Amino acid sequence: MDLDSAAAILVSGLVLGSLYAMMATGLSLIWSTLGIFNFAHGVFMTLGAYIAWQVADGAGLGWGLAAGIAVGVAVLVGLGCVAEQVLVRPFQDRGNLVLTAVITTLAALIFLENAILLGWGPRLKQLPPLVDGTVSIAGVAISAHEAVIIVLSPAILLALWLFLKMSRLGSAIRAVGQNRDAALLIGVPVSRMYMAAFGLSAGLAAMAGILLASIRFLTPTMGGEPLVKALIVAIFGGLGSLLGTVAAAYIIGLLEALSTYFIGLYWTPAILFAIMILVLMVRPSGLLGRK
Amino acid sequence: MPSALLEVEGIEAGYGRTQVLRGLSLHLSQGERVGLFGPNGHGKTTLLRTISGLLRPWRGNIRLAGTGIAGADPRAIVDRGLIHVPQANTLFPEMTVLENLKLGAYAPRARADAAATLDRVLALFPRLSERRDQPCRTLSGGERQMVSIGVGLMARPAILMLDEPTLGLAPLIKDELLEAIRQVADTGVPLLVVEQDVEFLLSLTDRLYMLNHGEIELETSSDGGLDHARILEMYFGKG
Repeated sequence: MDLDSAAAILVSGLVLGSLYAMMATGLSLIWSTLGIFNFAHGVFMTLGAYIAWQVADGAGLGWGLAAGIAVGVAVLVGLGCVAEQVLVRPFQDRGNLVLTAVITTLAALIFLENAILLGWGPRLKQLPPLVDGTVSIAGVAISAHEAVIIVLSPAILLALWLFLKMSRLGSAIRAVGQNRDAALLIGVPVSRMYMAAFGLSAGLAAMAGILLASIRFLTPTMGGEPLVKALIVAIFGGLGSLLGTVAAAYIIGLLEALSTYFIGLYWTPAILFAIMILVLMVRPSGLLGRK
Repeated sequence: MPSALLEVEGIEAGYGRTQVLRGLSLHLSQGERVGLFGPNGHGKTTLLRTISGLLRPWRGNIRLAGTGIAGADPRAIVDRGLIHVPQANTLFPEMTVLENLKLGAYAPRARADAAATLDRVLALFPRLSERRDQPCRTLSGGERQMVSIGVGLMARPAILMLDEPTLGLAPLIKDELLEAIRQVADTGVPLLVVEQDVEFLLSLTDRLYMLNHGEIELETSSDGGLDHARILEMYFGKG
């Protein structure tokens, strides 16, 4: 294997890892706050990318990519809050929220996917790259867009970590997930924290979708595969552990790039699932998970 | 009789269709230390949960300084300074002692003086000062209880309700906690303490309620009225 191939595998692995990290962190945030899986997480990603395209592309509003990103992320943050109100809140105190949420978020997935198909049609679309051209690192040329993804995703996740760790609102969001009653008893508005977690999570998904949409084409079902990968990553990393999730995202991303290169695209999902099963047999709560 | 700071009047509450509290009434005056004891499963915790708004009462009134708070949002009740420190609680297990304490001052009324309150809480529980950067899940039972009470104090309580602060603790730690709770009460904060350990309550409180089957069965002052042995007798049903 020559240097270029090795570099290509590494870059591809880091790009995938970056996207999975953003997706899986959002999924894990909802899990650790509300204790549910959000199956609409992938379609949030898709919708964010479509809205960004609508705002940015000449065939839509034509306001440029920066505006597209801002609007796409902002709309999805809002939609995330609404989703919590519609999909989770009404069922919160009725018992068995985990199962109910599987059904409501799956319903939202089907509904939104078809709404996207109706609204934008099946024609392939693509977002422009964040930065054109290539950059050369140690004599190996990689696309500037991919370089930006590799730098931007950790920066966003670091900002999220600082927010959750340092700010009053962030601490309150974590507190609600760890002990709902105790949070209520110190005056934390628990239901607003649930909404905030959903909004943040959907915003992260939108950002990941926008970054992905300039590497691949936009399709109404583009969020499906990343959702499955994010699930693998979140479980592999240990649900609720931010650090574990990010580490797992990069491990899975690199494994996927290696497996695609050496074994082939066809077998890659099977290999990832096999690795996940093996890890869970040894460590049932994931790499850095507890309980 | 001067009007009480906290009045509970004919409260009925429960879970699902199971009624736990059956028309319970009690009161707490400014600066008073009141204890509540009784067998397990007879509504002590349910009562505190109802007063703090975690549980909506079916019937009855709860008044805080004359204003009705029955069925109010827990946040509104915290904002008025009625603070409930829940039972055997690990609080926020993945957060450090310091993070837990700081969150205690989440309510707007507690925010301004949070730094000064934190100093006082750490002075009250020097152990917590040593363990400030440790996640709470790594603490001993006694230390967790100190964090729980510390979090309650961070909220600047006008009334402090403690749910079995000594549950499962070794005698030495119990004494340490008793001393700390006494110091808190000496600053004038009225206490409503739920406990199984009657001896603990007798040495801490001015007045005692005994709860049985969701009702107050007995009310007595902690020093006179009933002697220690008789309370224990009644408690264990040998009377």
